[in-house]
Amino acid sequence: MSDTPHGALERLAEHGRRGFPHLLEARRRTERDLATMQRRLGDVPLDSGASIVLMGSWGRRERTIGSDDDFLVLIDGDERAGARPALADLEGVLGAGEAKPGTQEIFGTQVFVGPLARKIGLEDDSNSNLTRRMLLLLESLPVLGPEAYRDSFAQVIDGYLAGQAKDYRPPRFLLNDLIRYWRTICVDFAGKARADERKWGLRNAKLRLNRKLLFAGGLVPVLLCHEHRRSEQREFLIDQLQAPPTDRLAQAFLRFDAADAGVRALGAYDRWIGRLDDQEVRDRLAALTRSEAAEDPLFREIRRLAKEFEQGLLALLFETPLSPMVRAFGVF
Amino acid sequence: MVSSAIADARVGGLISAHHPLGTSTGHLTELRGHWDMLVTRALEVSTLAVELAALSEPEFLGLCAWLASSGRELPFRFLSIHAPTKHRELPEAELVERLLALPPTVDAVVVHPDSIEQPHRYAPLGSTLVLENMDSRKPTGRTSAELEPLFAALPDAGFCLDVPHAQSIDPTLDGAHQLLDAFGERLRHVHLSSLDEDCHHVPLRPADEEAFTPVLQRCLDVPWILEAPLPAR
Repeated sequence: MSDTPHGALERLAEHGRRGFPHLLEARRRTERDLATMQRRLGDVPLDSGASIVLMGSWGRRERTIGSDDDFLVLIDGDERAGARPALADLEGVLGAGEAKPGTQEIFGTQVFVGPLARKIGLEDDSNSNLTRRMLLLLESLPVLGPEAYRDSFAQVIDGYLAGQAKDYRPPRFLLNDLIRYWRTICVDFAGKARADERKWGLRNAKLRLNRKLLFAGGLVPVLLCHEHRRSEQREFLIDQLQAPPTDRLAQAFLRFDAADAGVRALGAYDRWIGRLDDQEVRDRLAALTRSEAAEDPLFREIRRLAKEFEQGLLALLFETPLSPMVRAFGVF
Repeated sequence: MVSSAIADARVGGLISAHHPLGTSTGHLTELRGHWDMLVTRALEVSTLAVELAALSEPEFLGLCAWLASSGRELPFRFLSIHAPTKHRELPEAELVERLLALPPTVDAVVVHPDSIEQPHRYAPLGSTLVLENMDSRKPTGRTSAELEPLFAALPDAGFCLDVPHAQSIDPTLDGAHQLLDAFGERLRHVHLSSLDEDCHHVPLRPADEEAFTPVLQRCLDVPWILEAPLPAR
């Protein structure tokens, strides 16, 4: 059994007949689009310690036709004027047209690593700061400046582990923040739905599937830190979290002899990615209100896929040797 | 990991090792047709999963009317309906229409392969349709080879593994593993009990529980539906 999660999705696919054709195609598309993006950004001036980072479907390596460019310009140190690249340097390449990042001004901006890694908790840790920090850890991919990106990534990990980590224990500071982030997403979804029902169907489907993948794909590596001394946890987390979340979960299903459940769970997720890659499906879901969704055949299908996906994740967390860790650290 | 695959899920009993575990109403014969009472009994086993078994056509029609009553809300997160296999009079196309008209909260409609006349008629049920493997009394639908053409005709259909049915065909349970190898990706839930010599569902015997464990460990993520009460422990 390989110790790295990279490539685990393909290994899990060998345990089923159907494989994960949509996920693997989305990965290929992500790689192709990333190479194109890198060529187009080739001449952009980049300060030492700066990187351009893509998140969302880019970071999950599951780009589909409607994916947008959730990007950050990540700059080492504290906030300062004149850091490069400026947003103007990226115009027309990142976030252009339909790919404009859409999430409440969280993306498409310069972000300084110092506050991101230091301001964890309390008043200064705004919703935006939390979201950017978590998405950097859970679903990010550098398009330019890979070394600076890796340094920034490690600084954020250090922000959680320094003075906190213990041998053979999941790092609680990170675990609590991860759980807080997931619950924040859920609460914010409901709050947003009360204020504005537009795109309810699509947002609900993404909450049930993409966001749940994001959370579980972070939860499992954090729990698995219990197998490591604190001196090893930093590198373990960096290796795990830089693999796509579908690889992290696939590796865990394989490792804990739950390949059947893994094939079903990620098979359901694979079918969702296939549906998401259909503009008509996206449009139909986006047009659905909450009251219409229960009777809608498409939404019922998506809800069923989401249930299958969730059942697989619950089996992984509660019916494998991960269960004692969830019990010991997942609730209190 | 508990040593036994199954634990007593009754209120006040041992904590269930499996989630979710629910009951079929099919074994509550004394309450047959009284859906309010059947659901109340099912809720005592689990508020999460249930199979409402309408094994005869008159029962099924009663269930349809009961489910359609205004304000009916069931709490289960997994709701399966077992389609009728006995006393069938409705033309197949009409039966399928009625299955299609079930409430949107229904997750699965279990159909016996040997009761299907024209598979294409069931296609509109999509992934709500779930085919169950049959026991040794039945002429077909028992093995992966016999089920393969049906699943080929109904590519969206799910699979319900009835473990004791598979055991009745192959006591070594290799056949159950073959069914999972062939249709495991479609698995939606499991039927669980022991069978008597006439292939009637009876409470799970300890020897069967032990024998079923390797099969059940391949089904950790799906609801397990009890087709007989759990034995007293």
